[in-house]
Amino acid sequence: MKVQDFSQNLPFRISTIQIVAFVALAVLGIRLYHLQINKGEIYKEKAENQRIRMIPIPAPRGAIFDRNGNLLVDSRPTYNVTLTHEPGETINPLDRVDDYAKGLGVDREFLVERINLLKKRPDYETLVLKENATLQDITWVETRTLEYPELRIELQPQRFYPHGESLAHVLGYVGEISPAQLEKPEYKARGFRPGDIIGKGGLEQYYDQFLRGTPGYRKVIVDSRGRVQSEIERVPPQAGQDMVATIDLDLQRAAEEQLANSATKRGAIIAIDPRNGEVLVMASAPSFDPNIFVRGSSTPEGRRQIAAYWQDEERPLYNRAIQGRYHPGSTWKIPESVAGLVEGKITVQNSNLACGGGITIGNKFTRCMGNHGSPPLRYAITKSCDGYFYRLGLKLGIDGLIRMVEMFHYDERTGIDLPNEKVSRTPKYYREMVEKRSRGRWPDIETVFASIGQVTVDVTPISMIRAVASIGVHGELHVPHFLKEFRAIGAVGDEGSPNYVPEKKAFSYDEQDAPVVKMTAEQNKLVLEGMYGVVNEGGTATNVAFDKDFLIAGKTGTAQVTELGKDSGRLKDHSWFVGFGPAYSPEVSVIAIIENAGFGSTHAAPAVKGVFEEYVRKYRKGVTDEPAADAADAKADEAVETAPADDVEGPPAAKPVVRPTLKPAVESRKPATQGGGEKNESSPAAEKEKAVIPPKPKVERSPSNRR
Amino acid sequence: MVAIIEKRQLRDFDWLTGVLAVAIVGFGVWQIYNAQPTESYWSKQILGLFIALAAMLVVAASDYRRIVDAAPVFYALGIVLLVLVLIPGLGVKINGQRAWLAVPLVGRFQPSEFVKIPVVLMLARYFGNKKGGPLRFREMFVGGVILAIPLGLIMLEPDAGQALTYFPLLAVVLFLSAVKIRYVILAMVAMMIFVPTSYVLGVKYGVIKNYQRERVEAILDPENADPRGYGYHTHQSMITVGKGGLTGIKGNQQISQSVLKFLPEPHTDFIFAVTAENTGFVGCISLLLAYAILLSRLVMGAREAPDKVGMLVIMAIAGGMTFQIFMNVGMVLGFLPVIGVPLPLMSAGLSAVLSTFIAIGFVISVKMRRFVN
Repeated sequence: MKVQDFSQNLPFRISTIQIVAFVALAVLGIRLYHLQINKGEIYKEKAENQRIRMIPIPAPRGAIFDRNGNLLVDSRPTYNVTLTHEPGETINPLDRVDDYAKGLGVDREFLVERINLLKKRPDYETLVLKENATLQDITWVETRTLEYPELRIELQPQRFYPHGESLAHVLGYVGEISPAQLEKPEYKARGFRPGDIIGKGGLEQYYDQFLRGTPGYRKVIVDSRGRVQSEIERVPPQAGQDMVATIDLDLQRAAEEQLANSATKRGAIIAIDPRNGEVLVMASAPSFDPNIFVRGSSTPEGRRQIAAYWQDEERPLYNRAIQGRYHPGSTWKIPESVAGLVEGKITVQNSNLACGGGITIGNKFTRCMGNHGSPPLRYAITKSCDGYFYRLGLKLGIDGLIRMVEMFHYDERTGIDLPNEKVSRTPKYYREMVEKRSRGRWPDIETVFASIGQVTVDVTPISMIRAVASIGVHGELHVPHFLKEFRAIGAVGDEGSPNYVPEKKAFSYDEQDAPVVKMTAEQNKLVLEGMYGVVNEGGTATNVAFDKDFLIAGKTGTAQVTELGKDSGRLKDHSWFVGFGPAYSPEVSVIAIIENAGFGSTHAAPAVKGVFEEYVRKYRKGVTDEPAADAADAKADEAVETAPADDVEGPPAAKPVVRPTLKPAVESRKPATQGGGEKNESSPAAEKEKAVIPPKPKVERSPSNRR
Repeated sequence: MVAIIEKRQLRDFDWLTGVLAVAIVGFGVWQIYNAQPTESYWSKQILGLFIALAAMLVVAASDYRRIVDAAPVFYALGIVLLVLVLIPGLGVKINGQRAWLAVPLVGRFQPSEFVKIPVVLMLARYFGNKKGGPLRFREMFVGGVILAIPLGLIMLEPDAGQALTYFPLLAVVLFLSAVKIRYVILAMVAMMIFVPTSYVLGVKYGVIKNYQRERVEAILDPENADPRGYGYHTHQSMITVGKGGLTGIKGNQQISQSVLKFLPEPHTDFIFAVTAENTGFVGCISLLLAYAILLSRLVMGAREAPDKVGMLVIMAIAGGMTFQIFMNVGMVLGFLPVIGVPLPLMSAGLSAVLSTFIAIGFVISVKMRRFVN
């Protein structure tokens, strides 16, 4: 075959090259069409996402004041060092952790943990690496913007609790929203984002939506390294509304002082205005410092402190006033008296029932601490006669007791404006369990125990004060609450603009009509007289009587924690006192429970008195002879003098730690009468004896403390 | 060397090619400004354009045949430059490549850009003066050697991207020098086997550097490419092109990918992405059309060339340009790996503009003398 000279084909070859060139250009054109026309919008969005940043401007949280305008919570400006999360960036912050840790003086492990959060939650825009940056930290970051452009200094108002441990349970604290919370629908619905600060516990949590305000933001354009190039838009934040609480800081401090000086330093005191349910005092001891939660969560030391709170055997984080369930002991006799009258088991004219020094159920004798003959109701309350109430309880029966529980709303939350309130447990709650165990019927012995607030009765202090306070105000069961008002806050932005945040109006607590215990005025008066007698007519708490004018009514309670004979240390009786004053037109009602302290009259009653004294000093000047400042001393004296010989004040740590009140009561129930029952749980006679024996210590008048 | 330009020659001067090239550079200057408005690259490019224009006119006015005769001298000179650039102290190292020579007053220039021209001239001279008949193996071998010497030196810089642009010069010259079709097919088949094989072997024995491997992987598997790491260039380039849409952002600096520094190397290797962002599909297609017209003009000139040498010079230049456009734009559009090939006439850089205009000067020179003889 002849070799062809391809040079003859030169025009064809040139055309081939030209066609190849055009095809190449056409390929580019098609690819362009695909990227720009088909997928243009997608890339436009991608580009926008990587250059536009919304930098939130946190809204200052509303402050909280007490009823007299004292500041309880505030926010202070602090600086945070934050890490900007740049999805399109080439920096891996984990490579620089050592530098950060060194420069900012932060624990390396903590930083690694924080930064790893970004992997789980890529929607973080900024991540706080260090809170409360010092001037040194700020300088360190600002001088290294070229080296570490991902670090920024952000102004962040930080919550500050000037009174520390005081009121901690009521106020709660704030913190970064947790990943678990972010998953919950109720938080999702409100549009929370990672890194948001929310109220955790207390009023901070309950009124979070009013306190928190509306954050503003800066919409900025950033370059590839996250450096802000220009600001497109700035929407200022709307601060949260300031809250005025019903708390009275002076009374609160008096109450906390009482708890601090109490035998076990564990317990709760609540004071409310029985006329409307306003809570003046809510103290729970031991307490905690909310500032540690706010500041400490980003430092290893703070985290240790927080962990220590959680692990503390004394459970400082738990608000005993609304979460603690205790046997009410003899304080239970007040609602029971009302129930007896209302149910017609006794009448105002004929309320006598036998005491008999106790009662025999089956072959068990459950005794009263004295023999009161066949007293009328008023005397039975005053002397806290168990025998009387055993029989009243039996007359009411389990159904009557349950109707009583419902009458005083023990079977539901009081509705106080705090999160995590616990519901009291009563025979209504335990009935099914008990009947199951006792072959379908409720044994009489359980009625007897329940009639003096033991075994199947565990109530929260808040439900107890609400019920007992109603006796002073014609049976009105006001919902206890802390909110007096939220103050107004002005609108932000121009009306009609999409970022307009309208004004938030002031509002006060919206009280619903209080349910009323349906008793007649005579019935009410009879029970009230009994309570008056407890303090003023030789009853179980005459040691806390005021001299004149401010006459209080009340009821002691000594709640048995375990069977007699083992009742020392941590298993000692809980000490209760609940009362109000002035007795016949009450303005203030106070309840105290001191855990494992002993008799109600010895521990709780003086604590309540301390609060009343402060109330008198503050609101009814010149009425009492006892300066408030000496109350603690007086109480301490009483405590020592009234201490029974058999070591009531014994070291609480001597016994193994058992917390019967926190477990289901059925577990710890152990009828005190087993084995012949020579001893009884509640011992009103002893209370009476012990209470009556010590002459009230006369405290020297010290004029300097009068005001 | 400079001949007196006759009236007839002036009439035959290919204005359109010149104007088209200048227009593309002018368009490029605008894009360079869009890429980095705060930098002076765009003004330097204008200066470069004037220098390049002057060089083009000088070359166009010269008789290409005499230049081709002197090709070995230029070739030798080019080799010397490529050796000089490798000497530390003379060659300037940028991004790990010792590809620039610092010359007092002139500034930096890149010999590998210019050496293409002597290589084209040498190839044209050798193959253009060859007698008829199919290429023999020995001739092909000589062509390979002409290419291999500068190529080897460039690979020592190392500048694989630039080296790659030399291959089409030889390919075009061989194709137009009566290489047998079976060799063409053989070469294509060999390429299809050789490229993937050498890639795999290169990765295996570490000849191909990690960053090069990653750039290839970013193209082969863009979904899994790390958009922050090795996939960053491709990822950002595609975003920049795509967001241009139909008509582009028209120089809005606030949202410009290059001003905000998301797009790397915006004024050089990724100038086409800037064009796409600012002028959109309309602008890009217009630019590609301009290239197409320019290439057509070159091919037309080749067809009318008075001799085979002129034809080969023009076609080699056209082939090299096409290849560079395809490699560069393909990289910007995210279907070719990231290698540092500038876009002819668009990318900022005196060396590239100058060498391209000198090449166009040759083309004009060839066309102007088509009726001579």
